[in-house]
Amino acid sequence: MAEPKTVKIGIMSFAHMHAHGYASCLKRLPNVEFVGIADDDPSRAKQMAEQYGVLAFDTYEQMLASDIDAVIVTSENAKHRRHVALAAQSEKHVLCEKPLATTKQDAEAIVEVVRRSKIKFMMAFPCRFHPAFKRLLESVTSGDLGKVLAMKGTNQGQCPGGWFTDLRLAGGGAVIDHTVHLVDLMRVLTKAEPARVYAEVDNRLFGGEFDDTGIITVEFTNKVFATIDSSWSRPKTYPFWGNVNLEVIGTQGVAKMEMFAQKIDLYSDKTGKHTYEYWGDDVNLALIDSFARSVAEDRAVEITGDDGLKALEVALAAYESAKSREPVDLLA
Amino acid sequence: MQRVAVVGAGTMGRTHADAYARMPNAELVAVCDVKIDAAQQLADKYSVRAFADVRSMLSEVDVDLVDICTPTHTHIDYIKAAAAAGKHICCEKPLTRTTGQAMEAVRICEEAGVVLFPAQVLRWFPEFRKMHDLIVSGAVGTPVVARTSRCSAYPRGTDDWFADMKNSGGVALDMIIHDYDWLRWCFGKVKRVYARGLYESNIPLTDYALVTLRFDSGVIAHVEGNWARPGGFVATVEVAGTDGLLSYSSTDAVPLTIELKAKGEEKVGVTVPESPVSQSPYYLELEHLVNCLETGTKPEVSPEDGLEAVRIGEAALKSISTGQPIALA
Ligand SMILES: NC(=O)c1ccc[n+]([C@@H]2O[C@H](COP(=O)([O-])OP(=O)(O)OC[C@H]3O[C@@H](n4cnc5c(N)ncnc54)[C@H](O)[C@@H]3O)[C@@H](O)[C@H]2O)c1
Repeated sequence: MAEPKTVKIGIMSFAHMHAHGYASCLKRLPNVEFVGIADDDPSRAKQMAEQYGVLAFDTYEQMLASDIDAVIVTSENAKHRRHVALAAQSEKHVLCEKPLATTKQDAEAIVEVVRRSKIKFMMAFPCRFHPAFKRLLESVTSGDLGKVLAMKGTNQGQCPGGWFTDLRLAGGGAVIDHTVHLVDLMRVLTKAEPARVYAEVDNRLFGGEFDDTGIITVEFTNKVFATIDSSWSRPKTYPFWGNVNLEVIGTQGVAKMEMFAQKIDLYSDKTGKHTYEYWGDDVNLALIDSFARSVAEDRAVEITGDDGLKALEVALAAYESAKSREPVDLLA
Repeated sequence: MQRVAVVGAGTMGRTHADAYARMPNAELVAVCDVKIDAAQQLADKYSVRAFADVRSMLSEVDVDLVDICTPTHTHIDYIKAAAAAGKHICCEKPLTRTTGQAMEAVRICEEAGVVLFPAQVLRWFPEFRKMHDLIVSGAVGTPVVARTSRCSAYPRGTDDWFADMKNSGGVALDMIIHDYDWLRWCFGKVKRVYARGLYESNIPLTDYALVTLRFDSGVIAHVEGNWARPGGFVATVEVAGTDGLLSYSSTDAVPLTIELKAKGEEKVGVTVPESPVSQSPYYLELEHLVNCLETGTKPEVSPEDGLEAVRIGEAALKSISTGQPIALA
């Protein structure tokens, strides 16, 4: 068998901290070459390039004019549209950080730009690649749990601060940041689309302009109902950044997934902290590997822009419902 | 000394009877159950009289307190009978099956001048009392978002009465009313209820509900009720506030686990986790009531507390049915 082609990848912006996780995966994957970094902030590009031993480009245009095959877009949510359009113009494939965008209009524009181009576009929903989720999906698909009736998810975390709490750049607070992962997992599990959303949302943890608390109820087209807790409710003293938990209630049983339960408890007098040291699979590695293979082997991506749009719609509907105090119909 | 008659000789009736029998200032004097055999069996254990009919019991035996442990939809009839006879009342949760009945119960007991004690026992579970005390003392700062979860297999009462959702109210009324009351105790008045659940889905011996409560104080609470869990009972709580997070799981609070090797024919041994406490919460709850009756003080749980918990449960059922959020006046 022929060696798969090496895929040359650049990173557009280190605004999102996930860029670090992706960068280290790019260094580790054999079928990938991490070429360089461009950033709105050229000094950040330089600093990161030094840290990872790659090229720093002065502008996105320069990086996109180089011989890279693809980019990872990890800019602020509101900039995804512009950055994806730039990459598409230069015919570079894109792996895009979640949420897809901050508005439905931008999200649809991204999907459209991709449709009109020849590039591959993949949403970064790495949770799909966790072995615990894969096993859960297997168990649901094989019918072990019977008919799925309901689901309960949490993606609670610490408040990331920075631009994540700037409505113009993030499009919202905790709800837009944390709802989309679970909506995506739930869509995969139920093989149905979100039809109705109700939410209670508030900002009383930090009292900022941004929302920090959200309990979202989603009903799917197949009548399965679910809730998602997307709150930034883990305090600074919490031993870990947060969680991705999902329970499935079926006619023949229940299943509970705690994605980051594979951990060591560390109590350190050096840091004065108790921390969870995660030792399970690095889901980013599988995510980027999947993206790189799609590019190298010219295969369809595993997670599409439409998947990103569907997840975003639920977060946006949650804001609308919280304001109107009414459920919002997505299919209307 | 409080003379007590227990009505309903099932799981809860036995638990309450046992508590009174051990209490120095209470005396179990009679047991009543439509199934006279059930009444007789429990009565024999404590050498007291058994009745199938509450009115004959109340006319033949001198009673101070009537303790109602019958299926939920029958509570209101016994509350009326006891109040009419001028007896104080302890009533298992839910106080009644409907809000209308609960309002009537509160009114007639007030008119009759008798104590009506809704047995919201969670307030005497040491872990729930501890969490309440921590929260009101400001341990997590201003509370903002709470989650509770109460999971078990489907309960199997006498003649499977829980399976008739109309009578039991299903998991969203019967089971998580415990949490509604505890959350009210911690966070005050609820203003809005939204719920999704299987109440009307007619899946035999399966019920599940996810309820979102919004409080006047701004707190948002997520309440899960699960009657579809094969693995046994689990309760969890977490409350996040401006200065911290508290979390509890019954699966972690296990100071003792006994594992026994397989015996004889069995292929696998048994593992039994235990969380023993020196006094049962049911004993503490009823002891509190009896002490209040002895001293003429007001019990910590008021008739209105019982009513409000039922109101939340009924709103949850209505929300499940209509798909709309329900505002509470
Ligand atoms: N606080 C708790 O933890 C807790 C736990 C379980 C049940 N409960 C509540 O306690 C009540 C009883 O539940 P249970 O689990 O003991 O049920 P159960 O089925 O074990 O017992 C009910 C008893 O009432 C009798 N009964 C039925 N209809 C009657 C009637 N019309 N008049 C007189 N007796 C009648 C039955 O014969 C049976 O003996 C319910 O309201 C339930 O919701 C509370």
